[in-house]
Amino acid sequence: MDVDIFLEGDKVLTHHILIPATTGRGKSNLTSCMLWNCLEKDYCGTLVLDPHDEYYGRNKIGLKDHKKKNNLVYYTPKNVPAGCKTLKINLKVIKPQHFNGVVDWTDAQKEALSAYYRKYGATWIESIILEKPVEGFSEATLAVIKRRLLQLLDLSFRENQLFCNGAFDLQAGITIVKDICNELESSKIVIIDTSNFSGAVEILIGSLIATEILNKYKSYKIEGTLKEKPVISIVLEEAPRVLGKEVLEKGSNIFSTIAREGRKFKVGLMAITQLPSLIPRQILANMNTKIILGVEMQPERQAIIESASQDLSNDSRTIASLDIGEALISSNFTKFAIPIKIPLFEDLVKINSSKNNKIKKDFSGVA
Amino acid sequence: MKFAHLADCHIGSWRDPKLRDISTKAFTKAVDLCVEKNIDFILISGDLFNTSLPNIDSLKETVLKLKELKDKNIPVYIIAGSHDFSPSGKTMLDVLENAGLFVNVAKGEVIDNKLKLNFTIDKKTGAKITGLLGKKGSLEKSYYKDLVREPLETEDGYKIFMFHSAITEFKPDDLEKMDSQPLSLLPKNFNYYAGGHPHYVFNKNEKDFGIIAYPGPLFPNNFRELEKLGNGGFYIVEDDKLEWQPIQIYNTYKIDIDCNHKSIEEVEEEFLKEIQDKEFIDTIVTIRLQGILKSGKPSDINFKEIFNKFYEKGAYFVMKNTNKLTTKEFEEIKIEKNSVEDIEESLIKEHLGQIKVKDLDIIKEEKLTKELINILNQERKEGERVTDFEKRINGEIEKVLEGL
Repeated sequence: MDVDIFLEGDKVLTHHILIPATTGRGKSNLTSCMLWNCLEKDYCGTLVLDPHDEYYGRNKIGLKDHKKKNNLVYYTPKNVPAGCKTLKINLKVIKPQHFNGVVDWTDAQKEALSAYYRKYGATWIESIILEKPVEGFSEATLAVIKRRLLQLLDLSFRENQLFCNGAFDLQAGITIVKDICNELESSKIVIIDTSNFSGAVEILIGSLIATEILNKYKSYKIEGTLKEKPVISIVLEEAPRVLGKEVLEKGSNIFSTIAREGRKFKVGLMAITQLPSLIPRQILANMNTKIILGVEMQPERQAIIESASQDLSNDSRTIASLDIGEALISSNFTKFAIPIKIPLFEDLVKINSSKNNKIKKDFSGVA
Repeated sequence: MKFAHLADCHIGSWRDPKLRDISTKAFTKAVDLCVEKNIDFILISGDLFNTSLPNIDSLKETVLKLKELKDKNIPVYIIAGSHDFSPSGKTMLDVLENAGLFVNVAKGEVIDNKLKLNFTIDKKTGAKITGLLGKKGSLEKSYYKDLVREPLETEDGYKIFMFHSAITEFKPDDLEKMDSQPLSLLPKNFNYYAGGHPHYVFNKNEKDFGIIAYPGPLFPNNFRELEKLGNGGFYIVEDDKLEWQPIQIYNTYKIDIDCNHKSIEEVEEEFLKEIQDKEFIDTIVTIRLQGILKSGKPSDINFKEIFNKFYEKGAYFVMKNTNKLTTKEFEEIKIEKNSVEDIEESLIKEHLGQIKVKDLDIIKEEKLTKELINILNQERKEGERVTDFEKRINGEIEKVLEGL
């Protein structure tokens, strides 16, 4: 049946979405189509951590071709297209808690990080690298922390001076996290190109923004202004990196916090994965909408079926045989599981992209 | 090559009679220092004047100094800033340029609806200078979006780009809400980017670009800047090494009193402690009071007497800010916005989309509203007849509406 299917976007996004699929079944196409649609909606702001730099469309068709591209903000660390933003994050905005789920620190190392933060405040990372004194920790512990921070944050240390080689900076990027949060609150889609980073750095950046936005939304709830704010959705590729059982056994992180309690504060996750079975059942059950693309492996299908909103116990083979672009939606916000056909993103763009209206531009003031 | 980089002189900005000529004095001092240091040329990155048509006294002093520079063969290169730009083109900058006192380097031509900038070459040093003006509300952003970059980026020689915009990636924390544009809109491969507009001192050697610098204002432009910066200054650049030259006209002294849970008497006592054993000769004193008084009203504080005590000790000028001072005797008022611009910005955003006009989307509406506010915000100039003033304003409004 060629019938358009609609779900209530704000509810669905707040209550988290899971997109499980085997490679090549159209996860990126589906996500691109959903983001394309979100660009027109003022009830949601979306943060996209993009490890493959595929959604903006730097050298191909992408979200940049949308007629409402003013609602799209693209941050990238290298070869920044004119008008887009350079991803620069000031070291001063990082706090020890942002490393939760990013780096496996020992208890002694965690205590040392906290001690530096207490003593040196915003300049704590610089202080560790410059070997400023903090008592009560062995030299070996501090040396390991220093080495790991240098490597993770792409810093170098020569002649007692700190140099920033990558996205983390001593001078620039002091307002970036606040800027991104403001953009999300203005219902924009913010894409962060993390293709040049290790997984750990990508998660650190996501963690910085997610922590700030969740805290802001918590304060809006206390103030009573949360109703006026758009839903915030965070797109997480390879979600088990932060929501996996193994990761969470070592301690919670901001993404697991959002998965647990984000919906109370209108902050949701859009978790994309090939391996849903790695995500604890409790979190899977919290993902109230599942857009299931083709999943070949039985244990993965089982994990989805067991946590679905509808009884899909007879649909295991159907899920395995879903072709590229076909999906099954199971959601608390639909009365039954619905099979859908997802349009090809390129076709969607062709139908809806902007036409260039030639308006005479004004350059007054230039002689 | 040795040049000076000034910005945001805001000549004529202070309204109080005792401070009215302070920005002119700062400009005079900066020019004298440039002459003394044998500068090859001077860059002024926007907002030389606080308005497009400055008052005659400030203008007279400024012209004298510019003439002195011309006579000494020290060229001055400028761009218009958000304060001294006029959409109608009626700006004193044009008059002074026509008189040969400086060169506005924002020169170019429009080809296929794109802006191609030309270089102005400094005869003495061969430096190639170009740039773009600043407009209120960062409206110059559209110029950058339609800029032909390739010839600018591939031109060889020592190149300077003058601009009057905040750069998003380099904004300081306290200017978080300031309109800004991304770094990527600046053309690459210049040796020096002479910035103006955000009032803070900053320089950074940025990969793929060059040295990007903001010297801050020549003299603080309002109460908050006096508190934060104390004094202004400018950069002297020699062989890509920057030296910031402070311009001290008066000393500044900042007093910040937390009035929470204090009575009027306790607040006044704090003042006495501040004044005790201190001299304030030739000093501008800023007093900020904040918090909730446990009793009495802010107006009960005898500021006249307190101010007199500072003046007795030689203070040049005393000013106070009680915006964040309230009392338990009144209902608490929450002040969310810090400046007129912030309040305007939030009110505009709040009311967008309420009037439906064909082909006017929210982005265009916001831009149009800001432009109209800026035009209607202008005051009648000294000696300007009412009919001329109305004609000028109507002309500017028509020009903006024609662009729809």
